[in-house]
Amino acid sequence: MLGRGLKRKLSDYEENMAGLSSAFDSSRSLSYPLKRQLVLNMCLTKLQTYKMLVEPNLHRSVLIANTVRQIQEEMRQESSQQPVNICPGIAAASHTYTGMESPGISLQLPSGVGQQEAHCCDLRSVEDPIENSLLIVSDDDMSSAISSILKDLDFVEDISPPTCLVPTGDDQPKFPENAGLKLEDDRQDLKGAECVFGSFEISNSTSYLKDLAIDDIFEDIDTSMYDSDFCCPPLMPPRSPSLATEEPLKTFPSCNSSSANNIQICRTDLSELDHIMEILVGS
Amino acid sequence: ADIISTVEFNYTGDLLATGDKGGRVVIFQREQETKSRPLSRGEYNVYSTFQSHEPEFDYLKSLEIEEKINKIRWLPQQNAAHFLLSTNDKTIKLWKISERDKRAEGYNLKDEDGRLREPFRVTELRVPTLKPMDLMVEASPRRTFANAHTYHINSISVNSDYATYLSADDLRINLWHLEVTNRSFNIVDIKPANMEELTEVITAAEFHPHHCNVFFSNAENVGGRKSWHWFHVELCVLSAVFEEPEDPSSRSFFSEIISSISDVKFSHSGRYMMTRDYLSVKVWDLNMENRPVETYQVHEYLRSKLCSLYENDCIFDKFECCWNGSDSTIMTGSYNNFFRTFEREAQRDVTLEASRESSKPRAVLKPRKVCTSGKRKKDEITVDSLDFNKKILHTAWHPMENIIAVAATNNLYLFQEKVN
Repeated sequence: MLGRGLKRKLSDYEENMAGLSSAFDSSRSLSYPLKRQLVLNMCLTKLQTYKMLVEPNLHRSVLIANTVRQIQEEMRQESSQQPVNICPGIAAASHTYTGMESPGISLQLPSGVGQQEAHCCDLRSVEDPIENSLLIVSDDDMSSAISSILKDLDFVEDISPPTCLVPTGDDQPKFPENAGLKLEDDRQDLKGAECVFGSFEISNSTSYLKDLAIDDIFEDIDTSMYDSDFCCPPLMPPRSPSLATEEPLKTFPSCNSSSANNIQICRTDLSELDHIMEILVGS
Repeated sequence: ADIISTVEFNYTGDLLATGDKGGRVVIFQREQETKSRPLSRGEYNVYSTFQSHEPEFDYLKSLEIEEKINKIRWLPQQNAAHFLLSTNDKTIKLWKISERDKRAEGYNLKDEDGRLREPFRVTELRVPTLKPMDLMVEASPRRTFANAHTYHINSISVNSDYATYLSADDLRINLWHLEVTNRSFNIVDIKPANMEELTEVITAAEFHPHHCNVFFSNAENVGGRKSWHWFHVELCVLSAVFEEPEDPSSRSFFSEIISSISDVKFSHSGRYMMTRDYLSVKVWDLNMENRPVETYQVHEYLRSKLCSLYENDCIFDKFECCWNGSDSTIMTGSYNNFFRTFEREAQRDVTLEASRESSKPRAVLKPRKVCTSGKRKKDEITVDSLDFNKKILHTAWHPMENIIAVAATNNLYLFQEKVN
């Protein structure tokens, strides 16, 4: 797995998980629903970790997503048969849950999570330590985790329709989250999402098997440059020459630390800035 | 030395190619038996080493493309040179390996050093002669088949017509002609219109050894059962689906993951097919689609450790498997540098270890045993003391003789049947 330099921090949670998985394997102390919950948590943790990678492994992600779906299905069947079970938080969430394809799911997330967190707080104080360390997760979280990881894996191709970035309320408004499960209407987040899907747009307009037109390549790169927020800012407003020289120079270190294509874009900017400097200085 | 990522004998078994994580290919050649060194028959020595793939950077997606060689497949030899296909995640290359043992001497226009001679010094015309020189093995890239795979290539397979080959990534299979690099035909595409509906990926694809219009691949997770599809290439028609009904008693949370196929190999006869999943190897008769004819448990003792193996990602390890030349025995790898062979007729199996300590030259390998019950006998190893970092994923069997190549991380072991 190629990470973007992100280190996995060794946390208490990970140590707990190792202990829990041995407990699972010895199969003495954990009941079936607890085991299922443990597996579910491990799956979601892995999916979350994969989301942070630049290029998650498609095979593994699909296998884990299938496992989550399987558990989801089982839990759904159980909850439809028995309204009362160990984790009422989940039951409450699943009553409001209308179906995996329902467009309302993603939008209900914040309230859904808050609702069953409240339930589970009551629960945790009563149950034994193993349950306390398990994170109770709702169906909504699971569906959106699967949705978002698989959407992110949709690298390319002109075959699939372009993903829609804003929930429109019609049949498939799956909002692709790239920062946690919160749904925010901020410009900032939208821009961040566009940044991730900027590459989708680039790829959607080309086919790997056809020759790329040079114009198309540069056209797409230009678009992503203006949309992302870590690249060189566009032309500076005219100021006194000394200030104007210093400010662009300050932005260059941030350019140098980002990826290679940004460096290419920065170079074209450099020549533009030179040109502006000439005009300003009048040389 | 880098981690070995693929091992493959050529059609005669005289050459053994290995690919590693650093993009290098190392080819070993079997020593010929000579009177002066009678014991050297069967030894493999380095024949050629070359850098097949370099790391690349995909600027559009800001991704690094690994140079690790995923698969090597030899082409049958048609002239003095040898050809092989090697692939990384995105690009397949055709390499030509040729020998040079003669050098031309006595050029008219240049010196022995290669410098051009002064024209006035050329007083007579001579015919260059060929003189023997030290053997030099050259590897040169002849074709590069690129830009046809969006996802990671996991398999390549040469057709029995020796003119075409297929390459498979997670979601698509392409068919190539060896002479044509700017075009490939997409013959299988399992990518759904909506990626969220994706439930299955392609993990292996192989042409039938004799029927040039038939190949196998796994695709289509049908109702939770693993299926294998038999395609006819001309029309790309699904001809047969091989699936085994799930055993409800052995169902667990990890059933989905452990039933994922990591390798498929046709028998040399073309009559059987072998699939490897996490815990077992299954042999299928191509005439019988509803269940495998034989199932061999490779390391059943791991079934009770699945959660831990899932937690440390070992459950995703992709083990390969192989047939011997006569299809009577199959071999596959396990953990702790163990590998297992199963004799089909005799119903015998053995566990062996590939490690420096247990492999003295010419010594017979001692069978190993993993202790599954509580009481550990002498020389047995408990499941908990197995080293899961020492995994044997790649093995190969000589096409005709009982010589096996076993890759243990960054070491290659060659074992031979002891002839008394």
